[in-house]
Amino acid sequence: MTKSRDLPGLKSTLSRRSVLVGIAGALAMPALLPSRAFAATPGSNPGKYKIDLGGYTGPELTGSPITLKIMRQEFPPEVNAVLQAQYDAFSAAYPNITIQEERVPYGDLPTKVQVYVTSGSAPDIMMGRNDFASAYAAGQLTLPLQQFLSADFIDDVYAPLRESATIDGNLVCLPWETNPVYMSFNRDIFDKFGIKTPPEVGEFDGGWTVEEYMQCFDDVTKALRAAGDTQTFALAASGYGNGGPGSNYTQLESIWVRMMGDPNAAKDSSVYNTFMGVSEDGFTASGYVNTPEAAAGLANYQAVFKNGYTPTGVVPDQFRGGAAAVSFSGTGTVKRFLKTGQPFNFGMSPAPKGTIAYTTTVADSPTIYSGTPYPAETAALLAFICNDANRFAFHDAWGSMPVRKTLVDAIPEYASDQRLLLGTNVADHAFGPPKSVGWFDYFSAINPAVKDIALGTDPQTRLNDVATQIDGLLAKYK
Amino acid sequence: MKFSSWTVNPTRRGELAIGPLMILPAALGLCIFQFWPLGVAILNSFRAFNPFNHRPNGWVGFGNYQAVLADPSFQSSFWVSLIYMALMMVVIIPSALGLAILLDKRMPGTALARGAILGALASSEAVAALIWNAIYQPNSGLLDVIFQTFGLPSQPFLTDGHLAVVCIVIMTAWKDIGLPMLIFLGALQAIPPHLFEAASMDGANRWNKFWRITLPLLRPSLVLGLFMTTIAAARLFTPIQILTAGGPNGQTSNIAYFSYAQAFLFNSPGPAAASVVMMLLMLVVITVIQARALRSRSGI
Repeated sequence: MTKSRDLPGLKSTLSRRSVLVGIAGALAMPALLPSRAFAATPGSNPGKYKIDLGGYTGPELTGSPITLKIMRQEFPPEVNAVLQAQYDAFSAAYPNITIQEERVPYGDLPTKVQVYVTSGSAPDIMMGRNDFASAYAAGQLTLPLQQFLSADFIDDVYAPLRESATIDGNLVCLPWETNPVYMSFNRDIFDKFGIKTPPEVGEFDGGWTVEEYMQCFDDVTKALRAAGDTQTFALAASGYGNGGPGSNYTQLESIWVRMMGDPNAAKDSSVYNTFMGVSEDGFTASGYVNTPEAAAGLANYQAVFKNGYTPTGVVPDQFRGGAAAVSFSGTGTVKRFLKTGQPFNFGMSPAPKGTIAYTTTVADSPTIYSGTPYPAETAALLAFICNDANRFAFHDAWGSMPVRKTLVDAIPEYASDQRLLLGTNVADHAFGPPKSVGWFDYFSAINPAVKDIALGTDPQTRLNDVATQIDGLLAKYK
Repeated sequence: MKFSSWTVNPTRRGELAIGPLMILPAALGLCIFQFWPLGVAILNSFRAFNPFNHRPNGWVGFGNYQAVLADPSFQSSFWVSLIYMALMMVVIIPSALGLAILLDKRMPGTALARGAILGALASSEAVAALIWNAIYQPNSGLLDVIFQTFGLPSQPFLTDGHLAVVCIVIMTAWKDIGLPMLIFLGALQAIPPHLFEAASMDGANRWNKFWRITLPLLRPSLVLGLFMTTIAAARLFTPIQILTAGGPNGQTSNIAYFSYAQAFLFNSPGPAAASVVMMLLMLVVITVIQARALRSRSGI
């Protein structure tokens, strides 16, 4: 990791105004965040600017009128309001800087980023993802962020996330929230039929095996149907990506595949290749994504659709609506239920285990477009949004887990509530996606293949087809 | 041609000067929004691109065409495109003609029916596709609920390849039937009534009148409707993107969707451009065949 370097023009003046602003801020913070212990975290304005610019250590911002553009995913209104308040606060401190925002559906973000980059005129900040970091770096699409942020701030990010966003020592995107994937279950449904609930443990690997989950899904489905309930399902439809089967391989469906692999197996073994998902150079999928173990993993995935354990289409908010017994979810579900009042009695348990306990570490990660005419101001705005107070406000509203350890440590529930503690352990032991500069192509090709398998296509045949397709797609990056 | 003998009517000299000026805006629009992108697409089909920023970085001759033609997905998309065209012509043209004839009768409820059909035509294609997506949803969709009410099993409307193609065509027909229907209705209302009166006096029945008078006089409109439907079917994209995203197993992906996937999902602008050019050529061939087949009988 490259340490922060001094940039020309960087001022560290301590004006009377900045002191007053600092005192006011210090007085206001406990009122804003009454439940949290306060210590200077790496995100608390090391650069001593007139507002808390988080970990930003770059030059003082311009006084000329400029407009910064942000493209991000659509959030619920209460989260949008939090972000808008942050833009307003930034613009109040820097009235010469106007912020324009564009919101797009979450599943369309990668394509939208691609289209904008192609146009040569992209928004200054674009919401990316850490699984595309290799492509951002290889294409020089984003600015390395370590030149603007303090090393302490960057080191505070959970190691698996930080490493997945760092290519050749350059932090090419900034993970800003994570939703480690594990299972939530509706205890009321289990209790109604006297079915044993999944284990509520704190350890990431203390959960059921995939076979135990399949048995559970079967028991729940039979009980529901016997009671004449055809609208409730054992497993909720995916709410990741654009939802439904084949929704988001990186974040969800790869769990079914890569849990059947093993990173500690012999490097020439099929089990090892299953875990890797792509060759070491990142250019070959054949022999990695279509191994017998991968096909077996997706046969399990197919079974949940074939046996009617989960719907074959998109059902928004199925778990939250009480129409599913179990759901792949994470800390976001817990936080939202705790905040808004839980609609039913619920519990959390680790994701199904295969050969290994596997789950993913994917984080939405804002990027700064390499073509931005205002790199320092853009970095400052991003860092401002990521300062401690703003991150707390965002996570309070949205429920996702912070990516910086000091922020998680400052939220007592993460240490005391098993449902959240499990989330931190999962985040600590999660795995990044296969690293390939062509991950976007890989991702775009495998999602429909996974959907086809979910809907009945033979897993091995479809995986062989998609492996060949991905090989062809990755060839252009060599 | 002897230009020296070419003379202009002195009273129309003004038109000669103003005429080109009048068509200039339309010509400019065509050049900027039609011919220039087409030229760029043709050029791009011979280029290699940086897959990260999609900027051209060399020439590959017919390499993109070779790659696309060898791609089984493209081959499948080609046949699916033809199936969409055939199905849409079979569904839309007769249905539009039937509706036009019914509306021409000015029966009770005609105004309401006309409004409903034109309402569908005026609606956004994306919105229409989203509505139909909800209707086709397994377990919760309107059709599935109707099936369940009658004790019938759920149908894999969008998850079975063959059925999904039919569902996309039905949705598109629902949305697009209004335009050919309006064209046919206009043509029907332009047929002089005395022709039917004379035929009646000669003892012609309804079928004879339709076959001998209505249909021949509608032929220019039918040709137009056929061309429009063919082109619309070739360009079909939004319903595919929203209802099936080309799946399952690529069975609903036509060339337009294949091109989109190459350009925007697989970072391959060269093959995308090559497939677009091939789609254009396919469309030219089909419309020329249609024109020749119909011209011989209609004289247009």
